[in-house]
Amino acid sequence: MLSLRIAVRFLLKSPIQTVLIVAGIAVGIAVQIFVGSLIASLQSFLIDQTLGSSPHLTLTAKAKGEFIDYNQALRIKLKKNAVVKAVVPQRTVSAIFVKGSQSAPLSIKCADATKLDSIYKLKSKLKGGDYSLGDNEIIVGSDFASGQNVRPGDMIKLTLASRAVKELRVSSIVDLGNKQANETVAFAGTGFGRAALGASVNRYSAVEIQLSQVFQSTAIAKNLAGAFPDITITDWQIEQKSLLSGLQAQSSSTFMIQFFVLIAVALGIASTLSISAIQKTRQIGILKALGMTDGRSGTIFLWQGLFLGFLGSLGGLLLGLGLIAIFSVTAGAKPGSFPITPQTTFVIVSVGIGLAVAMLSAILPSRRTARLDPIEVIQSGG
Amino acid sequence: MADRLLQANGITKVYGSLAPTVALNDVTVSLDHGEFVSLVGQSGSGKSTLLNMLGLLDTPTSGEVRLDDLKTNDLGKRARAGLRNRRLGFVFQFHYLLPEFSVLENVLMPTLISGDNKADALSYGHEVLELLGLSGLENKSATELSGGQKQRVAIGRALMNKPALVLADEPTGNLDTTNTDQVFRLFRQINKDLGTAFLIVTHDRRIAQQTDRILEIQDGKLIQDVLSPV
Ligand SMILES: Nc1ncnc2c1ncn2[C@@H]1O[C@H](COP(=O)(O)OP(=O)(O)O)[C@@H](O)[C@H]1O
Ligand SMILES: [Mg+2]
Repeated sequence: MLSLRIAVRFLLKSPIQTVLIVAGIAVGIAVQIFVGSLIASLQSFLIDQTLGSSPHLTLTAKAKGEFIDYNQALRIKLKKNAVVKAVVPQRTVSAIFVKGSQSAPLSIKCADATKLDSIYKLKSKLKGGDYSLGDNEIIVGSDFASGQNVRPGDMIKLTLASRAVKELRVSSIVDLGNKQANETVAFAGTGFGRAALGASVNRYSAVEIQLSQVFQSTAIAKNLAGAFPDITITDWQIEQKSLLSGLQAQSSSTFMIQFFVLIAVALGIASTLSISAIQKTRQIGILKALGMTDGRSGTIFLWQGLFLGFLGSLGGLLLGLGLIAIFSVTAGAKPGSFPITPQTTFVIVSVGIGLAVAMLSAILPSRRTARLDPIEVIQSGG
Repeated sequence: MADRLLQANGITKVYGSLAPTVALNDVTVSLDHGEFVSLVGQSGSGKSTLLNMLGLLDTPTSGEVRLDDLKTNDLGKRARAGLRNRRLGFVFQFHYLLPEFSVLENVLMPTLISGDNKADALSYGHEVLELLGLSGLENKSATELSGGQKQRVAIGRALMNKPALVLADEPTGNLDTTNTDQVFRLFRQINKDLGTAFLIVTHDRRIAQQTDRILEIQDGKLIQDVLSPV
């Protein structure tokens, strides 16, 4: 490992130059890790805020007003898909709340309590009462509750489309984060929905689906549409075009930042190694005169590249994680902000790229070194 | 082993193509094992060029160089590097020590390149440093030494792989008289003790007189090859 030893000595001989280039790589990699993790965390924060408690795909019957047949084939198809996180078959009951001379319309989503919570995160939005959806229970929005002076435990009377009147107990009140939803949306259990609509077992108003990877929705929709032609599929990516383009713009600007940081890092390493290779021409020449082969002398600068890349990436890793930690306890800790988490794959890729760029940047000086003829050094003298 | 160590047959070296300079013109010369030879001539006469050809650092425009009866012209760069490493030692006017390494490491460099047994090399390295009067300086940086000491380290490096021939190009060109005499005494002693052959380029007649055989070159031609009168 003579070439390794020589590489280390060359680097140690000019410590300031070495420290500067390591610092340069480290800052580049740290920016990569920080900006990448920041944007990815912001991205998932935004996705969580905007799409975290709503369905990403909604399946309904093609014919308007009809129920969708949530049959075995559809269940299996959804179950087999690893990206599908939650499936909620639900029945929507329209009702009117009447109290004295006042009345208010309600759209009641009826489904299993646990399933409803898996999409709408109702438990975390509770403003009073206990989360429960027995056959005669209902959960109402906070604006409805305050407007109609309804409290948990109260009984409310609802008139259904069939003109039948049902009395339900308000088990709890939720804040859905949106005034209109808080005034008009309510939740009830499966039994109530079936009875109110007179629907048979596998018939639902809609099947709501949440995905673990929201951008997969269109692909999954396409796949489902092929297998189940009499289903209408509502895809968030089509419904919320402006949100989608905002997220995409963010991703592509991150990519640009990362691309230019990488270029800067590569140029930095390449120029330093080239200068170093020129500075060490005399040494390389004499080593070759003493019998070192071209190939072996070339590896000296590859080792240098590897070393600089390794130290720089390591430093960048620590610096990047440090920046993330600092951000988390300062800006990230403020209310309304979001937590920034280091993206593991991104960190690994950044470090890997740092190493690869350093090695690639070492190729030119390495080849220059391999080509050097010792006679050039011997003849040029002192 | 054949007595003949090195044989150069009709070597010519022409530099440049537009205004060609004939640096060597049909030089034929041979060296035997254990010989102690000087090469003299005016500046620009072709001494360094000849030495670089014989040392396999450069290739002639025509003619052949045989080392150990091996036609070196046909060899690849790798094989020539191997021969330089194992069979030849070089001392130049400039010491060319590696400032990144210690005195001992500089001396050991040829064995580090050949990858020979470390323990043996280490003890021989110390032996060589002692012979050169450099004991105690092993761990100093090569840059901390005086001119004479540096040149002695370079000589130690040339001896490290126990070469058959040491090629020295004006090795004392940058040294004062005391150091010059000391270097020559060392060459002589090594030649006697180890049987290493020497070819020493010098423009100092007084020094040349002390060698066993004198080669003289003028305008790229070998004009004299005589045994020393002493
Ligand atoms: N690389 C080269 N290119 C062109 N001419 C050269 C080169 N090297 C040496 N020469 C010429 O060859 C001749 C012999 O040079 P050299 O062997 O260095 O002489 P000496 O060592 O005897 O002073 C000189 O005329 C010199 O200018
Ligand atoms: Mg010369």
